Amino acid sequence: MKSVISLSGTGKLFGGRQVLQDVSAEIGAAEFVSILGPSGCGKSTLLRLIAGLVAFEQGSISFGGVEVTAPSPEMGFVFQTSNLLPWLNVRDNLLLGVDLDPQAQRPDEATLAALVETLGLTGFEASYPAELSGGMRHRVAIGQALARGPQVLLMDEPFGALDALTRDRLNMELLRIWQRDRKTVLLVTHSISEAVLLSDRVLVMSERPGTIVEDVRIDLPRPRDPSTTREDPAFGDYVVRLSKLMGVS
Amino acid sequence: MSKLLNRDAAISAGFFLLIGLAWEYGVRWSGVQSYLLPPPSAILAELWQSRGPILSQSLVTLTEVFWGFLIAVALGVPIAAFIYFSRTAKHTVYPLFVALQSIPKIGLAPLIVVWCGYGLASKLIMAFLFAFFPIIIATLGGLASTPAHLEEHFRALRASPMQSFWRLRVPAALPSFLDGCKVAMPLAVIGAVVGEFVGSNDGLGNLILTASGSGHTTLTFAALIAVTILSLLLFYGVAYWERFIWWRAA
Repeated sequence: MKSVISLSGTGKLFGGRQVLQDVSAEIGAAEFVSILGPSGCGKSTLLRLIAGLVAFEQGSISFGGVEVTAPSPEMGFVFQTSNLLPWLNVRDNLLLGVDLDPQAQRPDEATLAALVETLGLTGFEASYPAELSGGMRHRVAIGQALARGPQVLLMDEPFGALDALTRDRLNMELLRIWQRDRKTVLLVTHSISEAVLLSDRVLVMSERPGTIVEDVRIDLPRPRDPSTTREDPAFGDYVVRLSKLMGVS
Repeated sequence: MSKLLNRDAAISAGFFLLIGLAWEYGVRWSGVQSYLLPPPSAILAELWQSRGPILSQSLVTLTEVFWGFLIAVALGVPIAAFIYFSRTAKHTVYPLFVALQSIPKIGLAPLIVVWCGYGLASKLIMAFLFAFFPIIIATLGGLASTPAHLEEHFRALRASPMQSFWRLRVPAALPSFLDGCKVAMPLAVIGAVVGEFVGSNDGLGNLILTASGSGHTTLTFAALIAVTILSLLLFYGVAYWERFIWWRAA
């Protein structure tokens, strides 16, 4: 498989302290990869390094064969907090990334309507973030990252703050979008079951200084669904294996 | 709900009516001389009788406050932006304004009258001086309150510095800026009236001074009421704009 993102020997220091050490990985096109690790292991920092938001000192990161030095329009970033602008309505928030980039292609009305429909936001185009539930705000944030039509979606614990039910629902929507568009997705999470449910591969990180200690391929059949996939005995085996790797037993 | 509101309004109205009545009859029965404390009925009568001069003097004060406030905003906002963006300005311009702010502005009034005369200019400058600092502080606070996670988000969206300023920092600063204007507006009125006290030919402050100087206490009270109403109207004129900044609570 052709690799889209490639890290070799990447390391990051914060004030002289090693937060990330010798991280090497290849992420293939259309792959769904999760980065799983204990809190404070530097997994969110790693994602920011890949996005070009944070500079690093050691090793290299390339995206599409080009060294990463600044954010790329081909990568959409979904933050942990939904980060919507309170003074823009849903429609304008969805189009914010497109509006800010003079070179971006503005999606036509039909594409936009389809995106709104996929995200389950039909009828809320004119609503403001304060009028939406937490789950809906996260859907708008995902939609904003998708609206520019990026190759890669980088997601930093996007569902961390949501209740279990909303989280399941958004996981399913994310699976549906991914199965349709086949974008490369890199998801940072601390939920083992979320990582197993969604991913083709799970990269397990160690405690600080964070490095990848295991690359686990998840061979569960697709399409997946939170309710049925979790019944699969293999799902339980993966969860147990990853728990052991993370030191939770 | 509206029944409750009506009840609240009735209680408020009743309360103030009671204060008015207590004042009215307290003055009459205690025999306090009306040049010391006139009854409300005499003040209201004076307000009506002298409505011509009161309105024309109000217009003079309003003009002074309006221009003083406007110049305070027009200078305060760019200076605050300059202090926010320039490290050098933060350590030179900002402490300078803090030091200037610490000078009692009332003490400056005679000097400004000497420099700028008895006309509009000296009052406008006084109104400006009173309004200027709260506007700088509020604008600075607003700009600094831009959430860091939104700034990072704008970087991820590859926004230019100009885009980050106009589309993120300015709207994020508006609620705080407006709060600053709400503080600054009544202060501008005080500034103008102080300027009129120190040296003027007209304006409500001048009216208060001449009326009390000639023992015309009812007119003094009437002019005071006019200043209060002017200040309230200007305050609500600023507060009106809050509806266009509905994200302030979000």
